[in-house]
Amino acid sequence: MMDDGRSAWQRVLRSGRVLFGGGILLLLFICAAAAPLIAPFDPNEQDLLNALKGPFWTDTAADGHWLGTDNLGRDTLSRLIYGSRVALFVAFCAAVGTMLFGTTLALLAGYFGGAVDWIISRAVDLWMSFPPVVLSLILIVGFGVGLGNVILAIILVDWTRFCRVVRSEVLVIRRQNYVDAARLAGFSHLRTMVREVLPGALPLIITLMSLEMGIAVIVEAILSFVGMSVEASIPAWGVMIADARKYMYQSSWGLVLPIIAIVLTVLAFNLLGDGLRRTLDARLQQH
Amino acid sequence: MSLLTLEDITVSASTKGGGIDVLRDLSLTIDQGELVGIVGESGAGKSMVGRMIAGMLPRGFAVSQGQALFQGENLVAMSASGRSEYLGAQIAFVPQHPMTSLNPVLSLGAQFDEHLRRLGITDRRIRREMAIAALDSVHLPRPADLLARYPHQLSGGQCQRALIAMAFSSKPDLIVADEPTTALDVITQARVMELIAELQHQQNTGLLFITHDLRLAAKHCQRIIVMYAGEIVESGPAEALLEDPIHPYTRSLVAANPTLSGPLRRLAALPDHMPGLSSFADLPGCRFAPRCPVRDRDCAAARPMLAETTSGRFVRSTGACRAAQREMVAEALLPQVEIPLDAPAMLDVTSLGKTFGARRGLIGRRRDPVVAVDNVSFRISPGEFVGLVGESGSGKSTVARLLLGLETPDTGTVSVDGHDITGPFERTAEARIALIQMVFQDPQSALNPRRRIGRLVTQSMEAHAPRPDWPARLERARELLRQTGLAPDTVGRYPSQVSGGQRQRVNIARAICTAPKVLIADEIVSGLDVSVQAQILDLLLEMRQHLGISMLFISHDLSVVRYLCSRVAIMNQGKIVEQGPTETLFRNPQHEYTRSLIAAVP
Amino acid sequence: MSGEIFGIILRRLLVAIPLMLLVSVLVFVVLRLIPADPLSMAVPPNATKADIEAMRREMGLHLPVIQQYAIWLGQLVQGNLGKSIAFGQPVATLIGQSLPATIELAFFGALFATLIGLGGGILMFRLRGSGGEQVADVGSTLMMSIPEFLWALFLILIFGVSLNLLPFAGRLPPDVTVTNITGFLLLDCLLSGNVSAFFSALKHMLLPSLALALGTAPLIMRVLRSSLLDVIGEDYVTMARLRGIPERRVVNRHALRNALLPALSLMGVQFGFLFGGTLLVEVIYSYPGLGNMMVEAVRNTDLPIIQGAALVFALAVLTINLIVDVLYIVVNPKLRRAR
Repeated sequence: MMDDGRSAWQRVLRSGRVLFGGGILLLLFICAAAAPLIAPFDPNEQDLLNALKGPFWTDTAADGHWLGTDNLGRDTLSRLIYGSRVALFVAFCAAVGTMLFGTTLALLAGYFGGAVDWIISRAVDLWMSFPPVVLSLILIVGFGVGLGNVILAIILVDWTRFCRVVRSEVLVIRRQNYVDAARLAGFSHLRTMVREVLPGALPLIITLMSLEMGIAVIVEAILSFVGMSVEASIPAWGVMIADARKYMYQSSWGLVLPIIAIVLTVLAFNLLGDGLRRTLDARLQQH
Repeated sequence: MSLLTLEDITVSASTKGGGIDVLRDLSLTIDQGELVGIVGESGAGKSMVGRMIAGMLPRGFAVSQGQALFQGENLVAMSASGRSEYLGAQIAFVPQHPMTSLNPVLSLGAQFDEHLRRLGITDRRIRREMAIAALDSVHLPRPADLLARYPHQLSGGQCQRALIAMAFSSKPDLIVADEPTTALDVITQARVMELIAELQHQQNTGLLFITHDLRLAAKHCQRIIVMYAGEIVESGPAEALLEDPIHPYTRSLVAANPTLSGPLRRLAALPDHMPGLSSFADLPGCRFAPRCPVRDRDCAAARPMLAETTSGRFVRSTGACRAAQREMVAEALLPQVEIPLDAPAMLDVTSLGKTFGARRGLIGRRRDPVVAVDNVSFRISPGEFVGLVGESGSGKSTVARLLLGLETPDTGTVSVDGHDITGPFERTAEARIALIQMVFQDPQSALNPRRRIGRLVTQSMEAHAPRPDWPARLERARELLRQTGLAPDTVGRYPSQVSGGQRQRVNIARAICTAPKVLIADEIVSGLDVSVQAQILDLLLEMRQHLGISMLFISHDLSVVRYLCSRVAIMNQGKIVEQGPTETLFRNPQHEYTRSLIAAVP
Repeated sequence: MSGEIFGIILRRLLVAIPLMLLVSVLVFVVLRLIPADPLSMAVPPNATKADIEAMRREMGLHLPVIQQYAIWLGQLVQGNLGKSIAFGQPVATLIGQSLPATIELAFFGALFATLIGLGGGILMFRLRGSGGEQVADVGSTLMMSIPEFLWALFLILIFGVSLNLLPFAGRLPPDVTVTNITGFLLLDCLLSGNVSAFFSALKHMLLPSLALALGTAPLIMRVLRSSLLDVIGEDYVTMARLRGIPERRVVNRHALRNALLPALSLMGVQFGFLFGGTLLVEVIYSYPGLGNMMVEAVRNTDLPIIQGAALVFALAVLTINLIVDVLYIVVNPKLRRAR
């Protein structure tokens, strides 16, 4: 019989969802990393003579601007490519931060139970009495704009979702006898938590991280739509949407293209997470 | 005309490699008013018979051959809608898990009402009267009140009685009961069985009773059919079959069951376990042959047929088992265990008590305080096995957790080999690990599925500094596996890759890694098949002999406790109601609760 | 049972008070971290340093934070939420004017989300085992990847701009007015007998509430489908079949009622979040609701409005949670105390 870890990987890589979602994300990552090399124009370079041009398949296309321009003549394609940098950076950092914060608290709450669980659960309840959009706006007002603040705000808002879901899983694992057995063998609480409980929740955590990245992209887009995300000189998809909305009648493509970019990115994260959940969960069911 | 006749029924599963015959050439008859038992271990296919009759085979399984004649009509050839006409009306079912077999969001009355309406009773008041009468017939108190209750407000026994009431309420011709008492306590089990037998007799219903418990079937059924690996291996009148079994498997079933009375004989433990579906293709001949003590070369080659020996008795046998029948001897008597009476106690428990109290009033939900353990005291001498018997909720598992330090006792002391280890685990951890360990009930949940067995059994070595290196651990792992009767290459396997019985051995191996003086075994053989249970019991006896270990054996099964333990304590509702030497206590029980426990054993 | 429900409501209300207190502390503290000067918006261009200082003193911004909080809390209890820095009007009034519009949107949004979510979930369940299952699955994942504000823009592009079927700005056409009685536009139209305005208002409400609904419905669909799949394998469903009950009844009466429970629980959480969705949706549809006002306030750093609106949103979430919890207990007998 094969090593359990290896066979899980093989299963994961055979999932259509994982391949599709992962493929798109890989493409995006390349775009973001190689942005200066790929983008045909500087994203902030204005060309007022060529404002509000359409993509190459429309009749208002302009030379060199494959996907058209915005109201200040900035190249849409370049702005989309550079915007992916913001999206992916925020997605990754926010997801990692949320995962660390949420998982730690979830582990403590689920493992120890009692007063620890009570305090953490009440904190989660408190946090969740705000709609996330409202809370993130308030946090940004408090912190000020900037990429770092956006990431911090997302972490501070979304750790509750992570915490709640992982906590339920930890509670289930905690009830398994092998956790007690490890304690009886002489392991400390910390050791038991990390070596016996955490690996069981790992598939769920991986899935959640992927979903969390999608959520982070959405929150960043919302914040930049409202103008409270990155500084004005950095192109972001939400900002593109906010700008293009004013000129919706003249050139709806300027609105549609960044929307598609966001939806495609989030879809990729969701598909990846969904695929991971199916394949990793199935492995556990075999036991 | 008989009520139900199965003729050469074969159920096949379609798999990638071709079809596997899950049930092969099954033929049986039940007449009106007959109580027939189908006995087999898990995986024998007995539940499949019930599902086949209901027409609810799992996906990929289908009847490939044979017919099932119910009052002359072939169930197999019927359409799904045609068959469902019979279900609940002429053919009724009693399920295995009563508490989950009732819809949790509908009241009992609503579900009964629905059932009666389906039977064609249109008047609402008549339905209610019938429901009340039905609940009354199963001896449920205040039936009118009960109808308004929800399933979670009833006990397991009450739910099962209600389901039995529903089954009998349509005055069916045939009832199929698949392990109806397995999920219940011993005493409740006996009462529910009597109820079923009573109603069956009253209404002259034909009843197919599917179980793994041979004695239980023999007590109530007129005829018994023994199944092994998808085939019928023997059938006949219940008493005759139990007293004088012919087929080697039946013989070993009888011999592997510990008894509550009679001489204490060593259990005949068959090696290995029943072949799973995937192994059927490799067994063209007799499927029991690999484990059979009297097999010869021909057994594995040619498939034996079911033949009638004396009137009413059918056996699937070859020449070899017929010849050996006369020569089978009874097993040796168990040697008496000498316990030095004046030796200081290895485990000394005094006035142990634990109450799970009410919590915060306003914010959380209020709960009444539960006295789980009440003034429990007992001692175990070195090398002695003591049994702790009780039904679920008696507090026996809490006692185990208190002894191990997983819970902190409110009162009382626990000491092992003179060391006081009362209190939470953290404070006494160092001392505890080498003194007292636990073997958990459910090996599935007790073994981390992501670890290999080699690492699992030597887990306690990891926790200590200085940490021994891997070769030393491997050495110790192999030794532990050898001591528990497992092959040395099991070291590299995962828990999911070995059988249930082997998992339990791994569990035991892990517990003895630190060479503790006292082992606590919490219902460790409860979920196992009879033959596998016998293997584990023999292993424990060997361990006592070679390692001199003491054990607190917690169980609800009196016969097993009698086999293993020299002394026993009976627990009920947190208190020890009676304790003393096993033989004396079982032969002459003083307390009323002990008496009802013993009376409930079939 | 009604006594029990009353007890639960009472307990929840008691818990809500310290919760709201903590919420208000949280909001207050975070907003005081602010790097920008809250006065910058309200100060006229030719103000002298003395004028600015006077304004600062008038607003109490020179006091220590704790004192500011105490004062604010004291006034809050009396119903005074302060004055908007940008508009100069009392915050309570402004909130009172804009809240009904948001409530209307949220209500219809929740209604549509329930219909689409539950209907879609049952449909996805019925497709199980067929080829359509994969399609439905990917389709619902796609829908889930689109947040409300993008749905809002999509709907405008399709129904507003391209097809020109539905309006997408404001609550009513600019030339129509309805006397303000309750603040709830639909009620006001009915109360003043203005039927054409009623239908016009409905049309204006359609796209924004649909956008809100589509942001939530896919998740509800998936949860309902997966819980139906879980439930259909339960013992009591098998037992119902063994009693000869027809499959349709088994699904509708036995399976669905149990499967709805997790979906209900989710809906409670999601409908609370729905209020957050109104922020951008109202901005996009130029809808004069509380969300729109909050976004404006954020852009202007208008602290009193931000504080007041945040409290109202938190209150809305708590109220919805309470309603759903009560509903849950009514539907799920297991939560009632065993006799």
